Amino acid sequence: MTGSGLRPYARLPMPRVMRVACSNAGRLAPAVFVLALVAASARADDAMQWLSRASTAARQLNYVGTIVYQIGPRVETSRITHLYENDREFAKLVNLDGPAREVVRGDGEVRGFYPDAKLVRVEPGTFRNVFPSLSSEQQASLSAYYAFRVVGEDRVGGRPVRVVVFEPKDGLRYGHRFWSDAATGLLVKARVVNEHGDPVEQFAFSDLTINARIDRAMVEPSWPAIPPDWKVLEGGGDVAVESTGWTVTRTPPGFEKIMEGYRRLRGRRERVAQLVYSDGLVSVSVFIEPFASTSTSVGFMQKGGLNVYSVRQDDYLITVMGEAPGATVRQIAHSVTRR
Amino acid sequence: MNESISRLMDGEIDAAEMDTVCAMLKNDAAMTAWACYHTIGDTLRGETAVTRNIGMAVSHQLASEPTVLAPRRALASAPASWAWAAAASVAAATVVGWTAYSLIDSTPASFAKAGEAGTMRAAQIRALTVPQDYLLAHQEYAPANALQGVGPYLRDVAATSPMRPAVAE
Repeated sequence: MTGSGLRPYARLPMPRVMRVACSNAGRLAPAVFVLALVAASARADDAMQWLSRASTAARQLNYVGTIVYQIGPRVETSRITHLYENDREFAKLVNLDGPAREVVRGDGEVRGFYPDAKLVRVEPGTFRNVFPSLSSEQQASLSAYYAFRVVGEDRVGGRPVRVVVFEPKDGLRYGHRFWSDAATGLLVKARVVNEHGDPVEQFAFSDLTINARIDRAMVEPSWPAIPPDWKVLEGGGDVAVESTGWTVTRTPPGFEKIMEGYRRLRGRRERVAQLVYSDGLVSVSVFIEPFASTSTSVGFMQKGGLNVYSVRQDDYLITVMGEAPGATVRQIAHSVTRR
Repeated sequence: MNESISRLMDGEIDAAEMDTVCAMLKNDAAMTAWACYHTIGDTLRGETAVTRNIGMAVSHQLASEPTVLAPRRALASAPASWAWAAAASVAAATVVGWTAYSLIDSTPASFAKAGEAGTMRAAQIRALTVPQDYLLAHQEYAPANALQGVGPYLRDVAATSPMRPAVAE
């Protein structure tokens, strides 16, 4: 039966601690309960502390290194240069394999250069939902639906690192393993694993210099002036946060709505509604637009840890994408309804 | 019950309900409804000759064939062909396994992911192209993305990325 891949989710084994607690329920229950609560909240704090440190390090450190990025069976290498100066962040990412595409981030804007397509994209490029400024609901989901564990020490790119895991407590989310630099907290390796424990996406620094001397010239685009025969694509601008009249009736447990609004996207006459749901570690976006029989397609796509599912519902096209398993993305797509 | 069957056909049953719905299908009334809905669907799509009473036909054929008790030697087969075989075995009911379209990896091996989730109607399975704008609009909100600096853009600049900037859009 095709559904067999889903069924194990429904029957998660009961943790031994819980079983033991139950068998001793008469005498020990209150003590065990209090201890379990204390332990759980300590772990939640550890998780948030770890995430905040890694997030701050990624924003505020100066570093340069080579990233090996693995998505499915493919491996690519990129060079990243990051500068933090006067409370502002600048970064340049250059693809070392194939066409020399690059992404340059600075001054609240991200430019993507695609020499192979003779094209530049200009985007606002903000990260809005960052640690440690998650909502209390997101923090609660994080500790309720993932088990945070410090695995131990290791070495990555010649540097001592600390290894931590976020293990999903159900089959509705992927597992995450992070390696962070012991001295600074910077994330130097990350892996997303599916329900079978197989990696679906991974990145790691093969070499890395932290606190490197970096000046502005090193984070400038390779094309200071856009060549005259290149096309410039301006982003659709910011999201307009407002009620859209759409909702998801059967959100997978732990996913809370964190944003709802409209966006203008290129090539779309009408605004596209966007709803974002997050479990504290990842998010799933729902896009709703009028169905146009011409340029739209429906189906499923997987790109490393990102799953995308598109389905037609009457006169609308619903596209759901997120860093969550296909089943989760699909469940959300099929329960999008008008309020 | 009929609504659940209908939702199962449309691939709208989620993990939590799957066991219940599958158990519910194990009776004649449910199987009649299942076959009936498929016949309606087939008729609408002009595929009537294929599935009419196929359940009956298969049951009769199975009943009349002798049971082979000797174990057959296992064939060393590639995962891809296994996935196709699994899909083919349920195709009689016009439901095929979830087919993963990995645009990065469009080799047959990616079909081995067929077991990942649920079912879809065959008519729904087509190559999916996703506007890159969606990807960028989404990644702003993924908390784990912020851990990696410009990490999320790795997907964007990858040489093999088919999520190309939409020039013609």
